[in-house]
Amino acid sequence: MTDATLPYVAHGDPHHVRGMQESVIAHEGPAPKRIVTGFGFWIFLLSDIVMFSCFFASYSVLLGQTAGGPSGAQLFDLRSVAAETAFLLLSSFACGMASIAADVRSVRWYQIAMAVTGLLGLGFLLLEVREFTDLVSRGAGPTRSAFLSAFFTLVGCHGVHVTAGLLWLLTMMAQVYTKGFRADIMRRMLCFALFWHALDIIWVAIFSIVYLIGSAT
Amino acid sequence: MLGKLNWSAIPIDQPIPLFAAGLVLVIILAVLAWAGIKGYYPYIWREWITSVDHKRIGVMYVLLAMVMLLRGGTDAIMMRAQQAIAYHSGGYLPPQHYDQIFSAHGTIMIFFMGMPFVIGLMNLIVPLQLGVRDVAFPTLNSVGFWLTATGALLINISLVVGEFARTGWLPYPPLSELRYSPGVGVDYYLWSLEISGIGTLVAGINLVTTVLKLRTRGMTYLRMPMFCWTTLASNLLIIAAFPILTATLTMLVLDRYAGFHFFTNEAGGNLMMFVNLIWAWGHPEVYILVLPAFGIFSEVVATFSSKPLFGYRSMVMATMAICIISFCVWLHHFFTMGAGPDVNAVFGIASMIIAVPTGVKIYNWLFTMYGGRLRFETPMLWSVGFMVTFTIGGLTGVLLAVPPADFVLHNSLFLVAHFHNVIIGGVLFGAFAGYTYWFPKAFGFRLHEGLGKTAFWFTFTGFWVTFVPLYAAGLLGMTRRLQHYDVAEWRPWMIAAGIGTILLTIGIVFQILQLAVSIRHREELRDATGDPWDGRSLEWATSSPPPVFNFAITPDVHGEDAYWLIKSHAKQQQITDHEEREYKDIEMPRNSPTGFVCAFFATVMGFALIWHIWWMVVLGGIGAFATFIAFAWRDHDEYLIPAAEVARVDRANLAERRAAMSLVGSAP
Amino acid sequence: MSDQAHPVYEHRDVAPGDEEEVRVGPRVIGYVIGLGLAILLTATSFFVAATNLVWQPSIPVALLVLAIAQMGVHLVFFLHITTGPDNTNNVMALAFGLLIVFLVVGGSVWIMSHLDQNMMPMEQIMHELRQH
Repeated sequence: MTDATLPYVAHGDPHHVRGMQESVIAHEGPAPKRIVTGFGFWIFLLSDIVMFSCFFASYSVLLGQTAGGPSGAQLFDLRSVAAETAFLLLSSFACGMASIAADVRSVRWYQIAMAVTGLLGLGFLLLEVREFTDLVSRGAGPTRSAFLSAFFTLVGCHGVHVTAGLLWLLTMMAQVYTKGFRADIMRRMLCFALFWHALDIIWVAIFSIVYLIGSAT
Repeated sequence: MLGKLNWSAIPIDQPIPLFAAGLVLVIILAVLAWAGIKGYYPYIWREWITSVDHKRIGVMYVLLAMVMLLRGGTDAIMMRAQQAIAYHSGGYLPPQHYDQIFSAHGTIMIFFMGMPFVIGLMNLIVPLQLGVRDVAFPTLNSVGFWLTATGALLINISLVVGEFARTGWLPYPPLSELRYSPGVGVDYYLWSLEISGIGTLVAGINLVTTVLKLRTRGMTYLRMPMFCWTTLASNLLIIAAFPILTATLTMLVLDRYAGFHFFTNEAGGNLMMFVNLIWAWGHPEVYILVLPAFGIFSEVVATFSSKPLFGYRSMVMATMAICIISFCVWLHHFFTMGAGPDVNAVFGIASMIIAVPTGVKIYNWLFTMYGGRLRFETPMLWSVGFMVTFTIGGLTGVLLAVPPADFVLHNSLFLVAHFHNVIIGGVLFGAFAGYTYWFPKAFGFRLHEGLGKTAFWFTFTGFWVTFVPLYAAGLLGMTRRLQHYDVAEWRPWMIAAGIGTILLTIGIVFQILQLAVSIRHREELRDATGDPWDGRSLEWATSSPPPVFNFAITPDVHGEDAYWLIKSHAKQQQITDHEEREYKDIEMPRNSPTGFVCAFFATVMGFALIWHIWWMVVLGGIGAFATFIAFAWRDHDEYLIPAAEVARVDRANLAERRAAMSLVGSAP
Repeated sequence: MSDQAHPVYEHRDVAPGDEEEVRVGPRVIGYVIGLGLAILLTATSFFVAATNLVWQPSIPVALLVLAIAQMGVHLVFFLHITTGPDNTNNVMALAFGLLIVFLVVGGSVWIMSHLDQNMMPMEQIMHELRQH
C-alpha cells in the first residue's frame, strides 16, 4: 500500500486512510469564496423571481376584474413604456461595462459606467412615477379595482426593486471610492450585476405581458 | 402620535390573557435578573448573541423552538380543556378568545416551533457532516436566526398588547380583510410572518449553498450523509415556496393598509385566489418540515442498527422526487372550493403518488434495521415510534386525497387528527430524535437515558389517546374549531382527548426534567470521546463539543459513512499512535452584532406597522439600512487562529478521546 | 508533491455572472452584441403589438416568444449563463426556479379559471344577497 497507487496525494490525511481503494474522480473540496457568494446570490434571485411570478399569477387572474372601471388598453401609454424599456436596457449594458472596468481595476471607468447605469435607472424610475401619479389623478389608482391593484403591485414591486438597486449602486460607488477593488467589494459587485441584469429580465416579462399584450387586446 | 396604540390595548378586563401575560413577564424578568446577578451578560453577548458560529446559532434556534413548544402546547391544553367541557355550555373561553387561541396555536407550532427546530438541527450538524468549518454565509446565518426570533417576539407581544388574529393559522379573506377584522390581530400575524419569512429564506439560501458548494475533499454528492440530502431538498423547497408566502401576505397587507382589492368582496377581488396561493406555499411547507426529520431518522436508524443505510441511492431519488412532487399537490387542501372534477382528479392522483417515495423510505429504514445489531436507546425509540405513527397518519392522508371522501371530511376533526398525526409523528418525533441524538455533540454530555425513555412513552401514548378520539369525532361529523357543541355522541371522545392531552403534557414535563437532571449530573454523563453512539458520519469525528473551527484539519472522504470508514481502517491498521499532524493557521469569521441589531430594528418596524405609528416605521427603516451600511463598511471580517493554538486544542481533544477509549478498550 | 499521480477532479465551477473570457475587447463586444440583439427583439415586440400587418390572434404568442428570446439574450450575453460543465450548478438552479414558476403560475391560472367557471355569475350572487 504505497502512495503511488493512489490517484492523488492528499496533503493532510489526518486519519491515515491513504492506501484505501480510491475512485479516480474525487471532489476537490469547498469552492472559492467568489463562487460561493455568487451562487448564493443567484439562488436568492431565483427566489425573487418566484415571488414576482406570484404577482404575475394574480395579475393574470384579476386581469378582467375592472369593476366597471378602465382596462389596460385604455390606460397604457406605450411611448412612455418604450422609453422606460430603452433606459433599463441601456443601463444593463452600462452595468456590464462597469463589471469589466472592475475586473481590470480601473476606478475611473468603473465610476463613470456606474454613474451612467444609475442615471439611466433613475430615468426609468422617474418615468414610472410619472405614469403612476398620472393614473391616480385620473381616478385609476390601485384602489379603483382588483385589476388596478394587481397592476400597481406587479409593476410597483419591480419599481421598488429598482429603487433598492439604485441605493445599492450608490453604496457600491462609495465603497469603491473609499476602499478600492478589495476582494469582498468585488464579490458584491458580482452580486449587484446579477441583480441589475435580472431586473431587466423581469422588465422584459412586464412590458411584454402587461403592457404589450394588455394593449393589443 | 402613537397611531392606534393606547392603554385599552392591554387586556386588564380579561383575566386569562392578563394572567398569562403577567406570568410570562415575571418569568422573563426573573431570568434576566438571574443572568444579570450572575454576571453572565458579557458572556452571553460575546459568545451567543453576536456569534456567527453555526453550532451556537443552531442551538439558539432549537432553544427558541422548545420555548415556543411550551407556548403552543399551552394553547393546545386550553383548547382541549375547552372542548372537553363545552357540551351544552359555553366553556370557560369566550369565542373571541378561543378563536385567538387556536389561531396562535397553529401559527406558533408551525412557524416558531417546527421550522426553528429543524433549521436549528440542520444548522448545527450539516457543516460537521460535510467536513467543513461553517456554513456558506455565517453572518447572514445570524441575521436569519434573529429575524425569526423577532417574529416569535411579535406574536408573543400580541398576548400583552392588543390581540391576535381570530382567523385560524391561515388568514382566509374576507374574514381577514379590514372590514371583518378591523383590529390589530391580523396585522400582528402578517408582520410577524413577513419578518420571520425573510429569516427563513436566508437560512434556505445558506444551507443550499453550503451543501452544493462547501463539502470537504472527496465528498462527492453520493457520499454525503442522508441528512445532508434531505437538508438540500428541504431548503430548495424553502427557496421555492417562501416567496409565495411573502407575495400572498403582501397582497393581504396591501388590501388592509392601502385599500387594494386583491381579496375583497367588492371591486372584483378574488378571495379564492388567496386560498390557492397560500396553499401553493402551504403544502411545500409541510415537506420543508418533514424532510429534515426523514434525514434524522436515516442517521439514527443506521447508527442504532450498526449497519449502513439500506438503499442509499433510492433514498436520494425518493427525497428529490418528494421535493418536486410536493409542488404538484396543493389543491388537495381545497377540493371543496369548487374547481371541478377534472382539476380535483389530477391533484388527488398526484397526492396519492407522493405517498410512494415516502413508502420507499419506510421500507429502506425497515431493511436497514433487518439483520442489524439493534440498540433501542432514546433516539431509536423516537424513530420506531415515528415509523408506526407517521405510516398511519400518511394512510389517513391518502384517504383524504380521494376527493369524494374529502368532501365529507374536509375541515372536520378527522383532518385535524390526520395532520397532527403526520406532524407530531413525523416532525416532532424527528426533532426529539435529533435532539437526543445530537445533544452530546452540542454540549459534551449525554441526556439522562431513563427520563428520555419515559418522556417518549408518555408522548407516544398520549399522542394516540388524544388523536384517535379526534378521528372518531371527525367521522361522526364534528367540525374543527368549535368553541362549543350540542351533539351527545361527540362528548366522550372530547373527554378522552382531554385525558390524552394530560399524558402528552406529562411527556413534555419529563423532557424538561430530563434536561434539568442531565445538566445537574453532567459530569457523570460526560461524553469524552466525541462519539457516544458509535456513529457513522463525520460529526462524530470531532470532540464534544467541537472546537470553534470544527476540524483542525478538514478530513478527506473516501466513501459513504465517511467516519465509519476512518474507524474501520484505524482498527484494521491497529493505529494507536497518531503521527505528527501538520497544523496550519485557521481563519474564522468574526462575531458580529449585525443580526441582533437588524432584528431590533425589525421589531421596532413591525410593532410600528401593526399599530400604525408611521414615524416609528421610518425610524426603524433608517436604522435597519444604517446597520446594513455599517456592516458593509467593516474592514476585518475574519480573525486568525494560529497553528499553535489549533495544535494545542486538537492535541488536548485527541488525548481526552484516547484516554476515554482506552478505558473502553477499543482502538481509536 | 509528486506530479505523476495526477488528480482528476470535477470541473471547477464558475460563479454565475462571471465569464471565462478575460480580455477586455471580446468582453465588450459580447455585451454590444447582446445589446444589439435585445434592441432588435424589443423593437420587434413593440412593432408587433402596434401593427395591423400581423394576424391578430397570434399576437400574444408572438410577444411571448419574443419575450423569451430577449430573456435568453440577457442570460447568455449579460449573465454569461452557458451550458458548459462549469456552469451546471447555475443552470440547474435556474431550471428548478423556472419549473416552480411554471407550476405555480400555470397551476394557479388553470385552477382559478376552473373555479371561475363554476362560480355563479356576479349578478346572481348580488341578487341572492339582496333577498336576505
